[in-house]
Amino acid sequence: MINISNQGPKFITAEVTITEANLSNSDEFKAELVKLLDEHNKIIILDLQELKYVDSAFLGALVSALKYAISLKLDIVLVGLRSDIRDLIKLIRLDKVFKIYNYAEEAQFAVNKF
Amino acid sequence: MAPRAEKMELEFNNGTGGLIASLQQMLEFISGRIPSGADAEDILFRSKVIITELLTNAIKHAGKGTTLFEIESSACLSIRKTDKGAPLYLVTDNDHPAGSGSNNKKLISADPLNALFAIRENENRVRFTSEESSMDDFLSVEQVMEHFGLLIIARSSDEFTYTYHNDTGSNVFSVSLNWYAEN
Repeated sequence: MINISNQGPKFITAEVTITEANLSNSDEFKAELVKLLDEHNKIIILDLQELKYVDSAFLGALVSALKYAISLKLDIVLVGLRSDIRDLIKLIRLDKVFKIYNYAEEAQFAVNKF
Repeated sequence: MAPRAEKMELEFNNGTGGLIASLQQMLEFISGRIPSGADAEDILFRSKVIITELLTNAIKHAGKGTTLFEIESSACLSIRKTDKGAPLYLVTDNDHPAGSGSNNKKLISADPLNALFAIRENENRVRFTSEESSMDDFLSVEQVMEHFGLLIIARSSDEFTYTYHNDTGSNVFSVSLNWYAEN
């Protein structure tokens, strides 16, 4: 469900490989994110470009994983969002808590300056 | 000019397997009925997130039966979901009486980003509204809630209600979208 595509000293870039993220896979998605945080202890740049469908269960899992990351003094940064998913995130104001970039390279550059 | 009234019905099996096909079928119906001059992109975006959450709600709460979706295109766009799952606690809550005055407006959830309210309009019906919070009280992401379904629908719709029908034991979520933005 999540594959690591790139790593730096401070971050890992992880690609979400599913196209539909809903309540049937949101628990597994969160568990994989938590595992990545535990194993690598780095900021996760999460590339969501494959995702075409998300629901509130997925967004809840994402927020829950972000809380865990912050508790470890890490972060989850979002990249590659389709415009409708980005609009949904803005609709419920989650753009106030997630750092969002268009491309992974842009996020990697920003993370390296954190 | 208001479009001619047209309606579609879809019976959803409350399983995740049929989610995308059901969503696409309903969006195709809506897409072909958006009147000229309306913001089609906005209508389709809001319809998509509303139907997505109603489908998710059906899977989570409607039980093993089926859920009826009705989409009606007339002076506005109506999206209605009917199931026979357990009634929503908001209409069985005696601490939250129906009637006039401020005490029929109940805060359902709130965090530094958003607040969601239910206004109890009568014994069996509530109307949902939402407000943006000020962010002044934002201390950490720990304060952010993790349940967004009703909030997404409330934020995307022009009217969003829930009615419990005692006679049939049916739950009806009803959403309206205006074709044209109000000035």
